[in-house]
Amino acid sequence: MPVEQPSAASDSFEVADEVSETALADVLRVVPLGAGVLAGTMVALLVLGYLAVYLLVFLPRGPVG
Amino acid sequence: MSDTHPEVHEERILWTELLWAFGVGIFIAASLSMIVFTALTRDINPPSNVERVDPKTLHLSGEFAEQNLGTSVGSDGSVTVRMIATQFMFAPRCIAVPQGRRVTLRFASPDVIHGLLITGTNVNTMVIPGFVAQVHTEFARTGDLLMPCHEYCGLGHSEMYATVQVMSQSDFIPEADGRVSCAKR
Repeated sequence: MPVEQPSAASDSFEVADEVSETALADVLRVVPLGAGVLAGTMVALLVLGYLAVYLLVFLPRGPVG
Repeated sequence: MSDTHPEVHEERILWTELLWAFGVGIFIAASLSMIVFTALTRDINPPSNVERVDPKTLHLSGEFAEQNLGTSVGSDGSVTVRMIATQFMFAPRCIAVPQGRRVTLRFASPDVIHGLLITGTNVNTMVIPGFVAQVHTEFARTGDLLMPCHEYCGLGHSEMYATVQVMSQSDFIPEADGRVSCAKR
């Protein structure tokens, strides 16, 4: 007689989330916007840092070549 | 994903990617334009000079022989500095340059790869055995500037540095042979 194994479904932590397809689609629709804002902010900070060094440090140091 | 409007999601993702690509394209075009603009109007370029020299006979004759090292002013008024970067010193240890005049710096190495920068300026180059490293620049302020080796060249690397003495035009007076030495202080 086979020994009865505990099912994953019997554990409350392992039960799949009950999310409807519509709710999932709604969440996925806003994710790219947040990622875009985050990436855009970080790249903008990087560009500002580059411009600050270029305009305030590199150019005032004079010609080179 | 909802079956009702998957094409809307595809469209939004495509639009976001296009917008990002447009933004990145604008940034690349702007930064390249700035680099070209400063190169053309302010004489700021990456130093580029391909000139070979024999590292084995560097010290025997030619422009990097001992008597030719240091600062010299040509008959046309051009200022040229010649220096040897070697383990673990620059020869000469101090060079005199004028303020507000175009200076040509020429370096050579007889042993290993060295590098140098002059603090507070854009002068920054590597010195590779077999090649002459050449940089043109103009020093804005008078005073002593530190010129350390910035390419690890051996155990004495940290002791390898020279001084660049930037003199005012009135103090920068060449000797009869056109040479200028650092002032004693």
